[in-house]
Amino acid sequence: MDSWRKNKLAFAVLALPPTAWLVLFFTVPLLIMWLYSFAERGPQGQIYLAVNFANYVRAIEWIHLGIIWKSIWIAAITTAITFAIGFPLAMGIAFAPARWKNILLLLVILPFWTNLLIRTYAWIAVLRTRGFLNFGLEWMHEKLSAFSALIGLPDVMGEFQALELLYNQKAVVIGLVYVYLPFLVLPIYATLEKLDKSYLEASLDLGAGHWRTLFSVTIPLALPGIISGCLLAFILSMGTFLTPALLGGTDSEMIGNLIARQFSSSRDWPFGSALSFLLLYMTFIILWVRASLAGRREEPI
Amino acid sequence: MSNFNFPFTRRRFLQGSGAAAVALTFGGRNTFAQEKKLNVYNWDTYIGDTTLQTFSESTGIEVQYDLYANLEEMFAKFQAGNPGYDIIFPSDYMIETMIAAGMLEELDRSRIPNFANVDEAFLNPSFDPGCKYNAPYFWGSVGIGYRKSKVGEVDSWSALFDSDKHSGRMAMLADQRFVMGVALLYLGFSANTKNPEEINAARDLLIKTKKHLKGFVPDSGQDMLISGDIDLVMEWNGDILKVMEEDDDLTYVIPKEGTVIWVDGLSIPKGAPNIDHAYAFVNHVMDAKVNAEIANTIHYATTNKAARAFVAEADLNNPAIYAPDEVVAKSEALADVGDALPLYDAAWTEIQAA
Amino acid sequence: MVRDRSNPLDYTRKTWMRMSMGLTFLFLYFPIVSLIAFSFNNSKRNITWQGFTLRYYEKAFDNAQLHEAFLNSLIVAGISTTVSTILGTMLGLSLHRFRFPAQGPYEGMVHLPIVIPEICMAVAMVAFFATINMPLGLTTITVSHIAFSIPFVAVVIRARMAGFDRSLEEASYDLGANQWQTFWNVTFPYMKPGMIAGALLAFTLSLDDFVITFFTSGPGSTTFPIKIYSMVRFSVTPEVNAASTVLIVLTLALTVIALVIQSRSQAK
Repeated sequence: MDSWRKNKLAFAVLALPPTAWLVLFFTVPLLIMWLYSFAERGPQGQIYLAVNFANYVRAIEWIHLGIIWKSIWIAAITTAITFAIGFPLAMGIAFAPARWKNILLLLVILPFWTNLLIRTYAWIAVLRTRGFLNFGLEWMHEKLSAFSALIGLPDVMGEFQALELLYNQKAVVIGLVYVYLPFLVLPIYATLEKLDKSYLEASLDLGAGHWRTLFSVTIPLALPGIISGCLLAFILSMGTFLTPALLGGTDSEMIGNLIARQFSSSRDWPFGSALSFLLLYMTFIILWVRASLAGRREEPI
Repeated sequence: MSNFNFPFTRRRFLQGSGAAAVALTFGGRNTFAQEKKLNVYNWDTYIGDTTLQTFSESTGIEVQYDLYANLEEMFAKFQAGNPGYDIIFPSDYMIETMIAAGMLEELDRSRIPNFANVDEAFLNPSFDPGCKYNAPYFWGSVGIGYRKSKVGEVDSWSALFDSDKHSGRMAMLADQRFVMGVALLYLGFSANTKNPEEINAARDLLIKTKKHLKGFVPDSGQDMLISGDIDLVMEWNGDILKVMEEDDDLTYVIPKEGTVIWVDGLSIPKGAPNIDHAYAFVNHVMDAKVNAEIANTIHYATTNKAARAFVAEADLNNPAIYAPDEVVAKSEALADVGDALPLYDAAWTEIQAA
Repeated sequence: MVRDRSNPLDYTRKTWMRMSMGLTFLFLYFPIVSLIAFSFNNSKRNITWQGFTLRYYEKAFDNAQLHEAFLNSLIVAGISTTVSTILGTMLGLSLHRFRFPAQGPYEGMVHLPIVIPEICMAVAMVAFFATINMPLGLTTITVSHIAFSIPFVAVVIRARMAGFDRSLEEASYDLGANQWQTFWNVTFPYMKPGMIAGALLAFTLSLDDFVITFFTSGPGSTTFPIKIYSMVRFSVTPEVNAASTVLIVLTLALTVIALVIQSRSQAK
């Protein structure tokens, strides 16, 4: 990493245009929201600007903290599962023959060109009590019972019981893993792809097994991508609201749903802004810590 | 909206440079100042197949038709100023809210001769006394959709609220005002109460009911019902009606305790760019034949008395569309609850988290 | 010399890797395939198979509003992907390359669009556009899409550049290349897979976004997700499935064409 002073022109050319765009079309609008978070709600949901911390006080009531904690849990489990599925996939693509790479990459992205809502409804059709998965299981169950009857075994299988796969936290996690998989795969793929393969070969040549190479060479080298990918998956699933609304049960409300409700049926923009900023402050701190850690790590080089 | 004037010292600078920079970057297609245009903002499939066509043919006005999926989102957009629409279709409580927020034009009846076609029962609603700001459109109810062979006969909300007979085979809407409203009515209170104790009683009832529910579902209850995931659901009449056409075993009832009904109106938002065309459109939609064509397409109950002569007999006799008068008498439309809305929100959050 | 048939690093050839990838793709495509299958179902609902029909494709093709929504979505996604890939790459590169004062807060700031609940950003955008008196429409949608796509591209680029060997650039300077030549001939080719990945992400985000799009849209700028959301309010019909299938096929065709053109130009 260079100091910006070393090449002021290059730094300016690279950093100014995106910064300008983000400041004008993101930070400034966000400042408006920040002002709202201190405002008061009018009877019809109007926003009366004020300096008032009541919204933040309300945001840290136990019930809301409980919802935030539940969201963190669901996001953490989602991230872990997404990583367990996504890392081998990213590795498979990165080590695939060159002509396959773009095709595989495209295959990963393709399902996401279907609208999120439609994809989620497709999951409902798969998971529900009379969904495709249960139909498949029922079919297998029938065949198995017929088979056991055929060879004279007593009917141990009993009546087929459809699995309750939908309208609970598990369904929410499945839906989230599905939605955020590419956000984790793409950054990991991007780092693995041009990873210097000679390190891996050296490790294998020196007698380390594939697993040892994976854990002591590949993963450490791909760490920047892994961190980026996991952070993306975690942060995005924290703020989600469509998936829990459609796939969740009666206790699946996450912080994103609570926030979305403040901007719709509860019409309490100041409180919604305060909740959003609570979430933002938390993630801002995570990113800041990560940036300073990364800075320290790269400093000696 | 005066509430949106921020004390930004840099505001003028932003106005100039921001808008100019963007206008330079993209051409944009935001030219709604063209001649003979009308910008209509509505739900999807909430108009007749030929309504827009006949309107354009008779007036020469081209209709730009945009859609929203949720009234509250529509409102949130208008809160930042009218994005350029001439006609919107808000419901009861939203009409009241938008009137209070100064977002609607007062209608000039002399420019809507067909207003005379409206059934007088709809001319003096609590949310807009005298219908000064809305021209009544269609109405409907929320009730119980159920599978007869599994549930038997249902005539009371108690099937949902006071029974574990169908535990795990029931669902409710995910709409806080409607669900709370029905619970309040069931307890004998007003669906629009501002009394915290009554709201809390409804909350406790719903928390008790919740463990028997599969979920609070956003507009997919009818799919769950027809697919056999559930046997009993609190849903909109129109949604249940559509699945009833496909499955004889399903039916819809408005329970004897009464229910929350909704009434939609046509309104002209303040700042509408083509106000003359908007009046022409309102008048067109209230024409008896045009209105009947809409009714025969969307199968909701019309508020237009003159139109009923042309509405399909089967629809008129269907209690799931035109609810019996004695049930309607016990029902309530939602009103704007103003400062009490955060109480409803807090109750709903507790229900969800319990 | 007879070498082992496969390179030890050909993980993709290993059975366990193929199995795991196969299962993952099954997971990814099971819902999509069922969705496509039911677009041909001769029933109003996606519940049981009632026979084959193309009726819903006819319906979708006859739906003029759907056409316009398709077109609007592709225009927005096209412009937004191009601009945000360029700006995002610049941002990712400068974050990777330079150390500067207040880097921590700056990084936090530029990554906020990823973190922020969509609805919050949506409301912020609409309030902002109202403040600067900018009429809502395709322009405001595109501007907002670019803003939330930039950091996503930057994250991917940065992850990619983390493995870059700076000595390659130094070698290029030593060989007499100037800064621009070095960037174009050394850094850029290395960065390219990251840019493709980032562009795919940006395109996907833009094509799929509903919340921010809804709030920043004005008369005549209904996009595909807005249309779909309003259609789905009255349950998911095979027509919605058919329209989604057409969108997949269309974007797939566009991407394949782009990839072919790209590989042709590389071959030259």
